[in-house]
Amino acid sequence: MKSAWPLFLAWKQLFPSQKKVSFFSLLAIVGVALGVNVMIVVVAFMQGFQQKFRSDIIDAQGHARAVPLKKQVDWKKDTKKISLQPEVEKVSPYIQGHLLLQNRDYHAVPFSMGIDPSQSDGVLPLNQFLQKGFIPIQGYESRDVTPVPTTDLLDDDVVFITQQVANRLGVRSATALLFDDQNDSSEKGRVLVEQLDPYVESDEWKIEFIDEDKYNIRNQQGSIDINCTFNQPLEDLGWGYPKFKLVEGNKPFSKGDQFKFQIFRSSTIEIYSPSMIEKAKSDEMSPPREVRVGGIFQVPWQGFHTDALIGTDRFMEDMRGEENACDGFFIKFQTDYLHDENKLGELCARLEGELEGDWSIIPWFIENAWFFDLLKFEEYLMVLIMIPIGLVAAFAIAIALMTTVLRKIREIGLLIAMGGTRFSVGMIFCMQGFIIGSLGAFIGCGMALTFIRYRDSLMSFIVTRIAGEDGQAGVTQFYDFYSLEVSYPWESEQSMITFLTFIFFAIGVSTLAGLLPAWRASRMNPAEALRSE
Amino acid sequence: MSEQTKKENVVLHAKSLSKSYSIVDAPDLKVLNQVNITLHESSSLSIRGDSGCGKSTLLNLLARLEPADEGTIFWGEKRIAAASKPLAVEASWRAKHVGVVYQSYYLIPELNVLENVLMSVRLSGLSIAEYEPRAKELLDQMGVESKSKQIPSKLSGGERQRVAIARALVNRPKVILADEPTGNLDERTGAEIMKLLLNASAKEKTSLILVTHNPSFARATDETSILKDGKLIYE
Repeated sequence: MKSAWPLFLAWKQLFPSQKKVSFFSLLAIVGVALGVNVMIVVVAFMQGFQQKFRSDIIDAQGHARAVPLKKQVDWKKDTKKISLQPEVEKVSPYIQGHLLLQNRDYHAVPFSMGIDPSQSDGVLPLNQFLQKGFIPIQGYESRDVTPVPTTDLLDDDVVFITQQVANRLGVRSATALLFDDQNDSSEKGRVLVEQLDPYVESDEWKIEFIDEDKYNIRNQQGSIDINCTFNQPLEDLGWGYPKFKLVEGNKPFSKGDQFKFQIFRSSTIEIYSPSMIEKAKSDEMSPPREVRVGGIFQVPWQGFHTDALIGTDRFMEDMRGEENACDGFFIKFQTDYLHDENKLGELCARLEGELEGDWSIIPWFIENAWFFDLLKFEEYLMVLIMIPIGLVAAFAIAIALMTTVLRKIREIGLLIAMGGTRFSVGMIFCMQGFIIGSLGAFIGCGMALTFIRYRDSLMSFIVTRIAGEDGQAGVTQFYDFYSLEVSYPWESEQSMITFLTFIFFAIGVSTLAGLLPAWRASRMNPAEALRSE
Repeated sequence: MSEQTKKENVVLHAKSLSKSYSIVDAPDLKVLNQVNITLHESSSLSIRGDSGCGKSTLLNLLARLEPADEGTIFWGEKRIAAASKPLAVEASWRAKHVGVVYQSYYLIPELNVLENVLMSVRLSGLSIAEYEPRAKELLDQMGVESKSKQIPSKLSGGERQRVAIARALVNRPKVILADEPTGNLDERTGAEIMKLLLNASAKEKTSLILVTHNPSFARATDETSILKDGKLIYE
């Protein structure tokens, strides 16, 4: 087997016979690996954040938003026209404005939006927002068993508000606490609160087992006192009462088993609208509108108003004193438009044409361009900061290889005396740089993949160490790394490009780092080299 | 041997080689002055001389590691202007046809004994698989076959020089240039090494130029010479 001897010798100088690895090789490879790892991880995370923000924005605003360019009376016809387009999955009209909310002496002026709950489903994932905004109460000897509110609860006298508004007003939605949960750790069945509507009154409810399949359900106010069996379970008591559900366990219930719930009614808030203020100016006083808090929500996209209220479209029409109002509509397209911004832009332009120029249809990436420009800038800045770090590593490799050249002057002389060309001798050092770069890049990629795989626990560890347990919630509120979609190179082209870019960067820079020592070695006079001490 | 046969058998011939160095005390120190040297196939020539008289320089010029000031070198039929800058093509010829042995052994510390010997094969672009048995055989001849997996730092001086000789011989060169190969060894080991070198080169039919201070080693070669005042005087 003929062999490329400079490569052989380069390898052997890094990994000598009878020695697994030289100290210099180890340091150099680890240095390159750490550099590659950090660069890939940072860029992958930045891309993950971008991806996350993208899906959050689409959740909060749909793929596009149609804004009327003039007062639209016949908007229902236009929304129908758009919803019939084959690319359109769903359309959700909205009315917006600002309302003044009051609870005792506390006030808030949130951005308010009225939607048709039946149409908004599928465009705005309100149930997800309610899930995210739900914060259980930490009770003493009790447990919050409130079911997460859903959009079914929204009616004209019920609103959903954000956590910030709820905190400012000191209000919350209906809550259920379970006291003395005897069956908490046993294998027996459980009683759940399946639904808690906003009209439920504060009361104490007790469910007590008379025998293993017969139970009594009653409230403290005495309006309900019913015996039921598993075969004939308690039917829905109706709006204004909690809905319980029995879940059987591995062991049967027994006589005396009881479940005690304390139900707290949902807060009521008073709402004033600008139209009421206008009326007040003409001495026409109208009482504030009283509504119940049906749920507290949180929109993951921070660009969405943090102080917000969502009610029905009719509620908003009432508050504005208008009929047939529409301030725009959200549009959700087929999923293949999610990643192709050009295609989406062209589609929006075409739909604008369909609506004869009465509406402007703004795709999500245009509406939030400032934010993505900022993220891109941040990503480029990170790379710009990291590239000099890579170059510093390259200088370190160059200096180490240069030292090797000086240490091996006589060997270089010998190799030329034995018939090596100056070019080949120089190549030994270039190839050492190449090998260090390649192995470092390979290990760095492995480290990056590991980091990406275990990002949740690693990030949690880091954030907890930096911000503490309490600070972690604050960090995740903006940078929700737990749900970060960081792609592996085999999953996305963008990730593959990131990996390949940094692999080639590391190999290229390391090989270049070997050039100067290689040039120095190839310029050496072999006769002088052999004579050197 | 007829004159014609002799001419055909010349493996290395240098004519009118001159070389000067410029040093602080002597700006034009002429170490070689019109030196002529002829080496025939399977023959050996020793060169003796005082330290610093130019023996190593002469070997370097013959190996084309540095240019002479003037003169001509013939590597077999190949004519080279000695004053020209050494070319890459000459390195290739050197790899195939010249073996070198130095006083300081110059084994590559990261390679084991066998890999060191096979380094000549690699440099010549020959097949490792083909030459590995020969390398082992030479190591056996040199008495260090058992150390073939050892790294040089684990060997004694004598053992290292045996490896260096095996390395010089492994790809069947036409000439071996040995520059004081026993200089770093004690007398007894030096004698053993010299015997091995002479026997091996004779057995392999390889010509040898031996630079040495030791008159008895010099006498063991076919021809002896002394380098004095820049001139090579045959004895």
